[in-house]
Amino acid sequence: MTLDTNTNAPAIHAEALTKIFSDPERGKVAAVQDLDLACNYGEVMGLLGPNGAGKTTTLRMLSTILAPTRGRGTVAGADITNDPIGVRKRIGFLSGTTGLYPRLTAEEVLQYFGRLHGMDEDTLGQRLEVVVKAFDLKDFLSGRCESLSTGQKQRVSIARAVIHDPRVLILDEPTTGLDLLAASDMIRFVESRREEGRCVLFSTHILSEAERLCDRIAIVHAGRVLAVGTQEELREDTGEKWLEDVFRAFVARADHSPEQAADQPQANITGGEPHK
Amino acid sequence: MTQRLAATLQVTGKELRETLRDRQTAFTTLVLPICMYPVLFWIMAQGFLVLQGQKERTEVHVGVVNQGLLEDDLLRAIDQGPEPGTANRLVLVDLGFQEDVPPGDLLEATSGVGEPQGPPLAGVLSFGPNGAHLHVNRSEPKGELAESRVTKRLAQHVGQLREQAAEAGGHAASALEPLYLERVDVGPESDKGALLLATLLPMLLVTMCVMGAFFPAVDLSAGERERGTAETTLLLPVPRLWVLQGKVLAVASLAMIATTFNLLALGISAEGLLATILQGSNITINLPWQELLAVAPLALLFALFVAATLTATSGMARNFKEAQAMLGPVQMVFILPAIAGIMPGIDLTPGLALVPVLNVTLAAKSMLLGKVLPLEYALVAGSLLLSAWLALKFAVRLLSREAFATTSATISWPQLFSFLRSDGDASR
Repeated sequence: MTLDTNTNAPAIHAEALTKIFSDPERGKVAAVQDLDLACNYGEVMGLLGPNGAGKTTTLRMLSTILAPTRGRGTVAGADITNDPIGVRKRIGFLSGTTGLYPRLTAEEVLQYFGRLHGMDEDTLGQRLEVVVKAFDLKDFLSGRCESLSTGQKQRVSIARAVIHDPRVLILDEPTTGLDLLAASDMIRFVESRREEGRCVLFSTHILSEAERLCDRIAIVHAGRVLAVGTQEELREDTGEKWLEDVFRAFVARADHSPEQAADQPQANITGGEPHK
Repeated sequence: MTQRLAATLQVTGKELRETLRDRQTAFTTLVLPICMYPVLFWIMAQGFLVLQGQKERTEVHVGVVNQGLLEDDLLRAIDQGPEPGTANRLVLVDLGFQEDVPPGDLLEATSGVGEPQGPPLAGVLSFGPNGAHLHVNRSEPKGELAESRVTKRLAQHVGQLREQAAEAGGHAASALEPLYLERVDVGPESDKGALLLATLLPMLLVTMCVMGAFFPAVDLSAGERERGTAETTLLLPVPRLWVLQGKVLAVASLAMIATTFNLLALGISAEGLLATILQGSNITINLPWQELLAVAPLALLFALFVAATLTATSGMARNFKEAQAMLGPVQMVFILPAIAGIMPGIDLTPGLALVPVLNVTLAAKSMLLGKVLPLEYALVAGSLLLSAWLALKFAVRLLSREAFATTSATISWPQLFSFLRSDGDASR
């Protein structure tokens, strides 16, 4: 299936997105600061960074779980601040912390989300057939989620995220905790979404995943985007061959000159056209 | 509006299904009342009978001072109780002549007088020019028994003497009373039962409702955080207010189900217990189902109030255990006014109709007694509706905060006050 994304507007657009948390011990802490990002349909973009870099906070703001402290963002044409429900209707979000309701069956979870997405019973039935077939859920569809294996849960979670056929997918470290086979299934799923012309934004700290999947990579460190570009662009910028060294080079550059690092990516890469 | 209602009911349905599949909640809500009350009441009735039997079987020894001076009839009237081994036995012990020792001291000194020959004395009876004196120690169970048995038998003896004297003089026995008082109770026995129920049921209604909402409220708020599904819920494509309304409605429904089951089980098993306790009193106990149905709308509003408050409070906790600890004091805030409401002399007035919890107790009490107080009932309904709405706002403001989904720590009191001061995220 190929999606008709007849629009020039980016699927995800963030401008000066900032999130400041109040911490009782540390005071105000900026988890994400002045983040600019653009991601188009048919593109897979990866947020690459270590733990605590601000990847999860960014994805949570874009999926409206968190409200930004300042800055703007639109996802699939809906404003994340003014139309959060519109955003949630248009995206599929998945992370390690979006657990399945353990006492519901896989089918009940899918029906619950489908109905709240406003699907009528006929459409829901059709979509259920599609996702059950696509993610091979038939054998455990009537099993309670608490009784499923990790891999089965992951497949149900993906099905839950796409039951309403969203144009944009936001995935927060989707392969964390999965075994090799389940992780491989997830990677194939992301690739298939790109082929359908959807936008996938996902975070990871696994370099091999980013290398294999991402059309463009945003390197995130200490709440800021240090660089955004294709893998070739990033290698060219740093003169490094391996993605790990590219990442280190940008972090070293940022640590050495934080102000420069904060300013440079804006002109250098983030403002560039999204990958088509 | 239709979309909102449909979404809210979707959430309610999902929460009900999920909660009732939890063994602990299902057990507490449905199984426990059905099994607990009959068993508990049977144990209570048996305990009552055992205690009563034990009391009747207890033999009491009372010392008599200067027994030789007393008439045999009098002594027989007191001592001639049932034979050994039967109920309410009273044995007199002759203490001989004790001219200089006050009976009180005598009781103290002779409390072990029988030993090792016999059991200790429960009282000392002496007779003087002004009548009989009985010294007992009421802090001892046998002291009370001695008092009650001696008093009863002396009164019977005096009554017999009066009857004999009246018969000899050709009068009615009542003619020898300085003032004869005849007491007539015109109250139907069913009304006495209704009064008893009207006193107990409102308190039970409040208590059961709070208890019934307890586990579901914890399960749907702190439980979500513990199970890692809070973020999933925040991703639902409907306003968070609707989701919370659905949750609160689910908790209120479960509280009502629990209350109904509890009352049913209580009604069925209470009759046996009360019949045992009130035997011989002719008081009839029938659950007033019609009046209880009239109380139902108020109970529903109260359940919403309780559900919203408990859900919001347990939402501050990071896990089930912590939420249970937090809700303990909150439960008491509900139950204590309910207990105050059953105190005699406190009736429903327009002023008290505005006091949450107390108002529902008093209104239920009045309704069960068949009183028609339209203004007060309307005020109670309005007050409960307002309380429920405020509690829902509180819950929404608290649980729609992103901290609910994103922090793994307990929400501190300063954070709580900061949440409540700022604007809520309910529209998100």
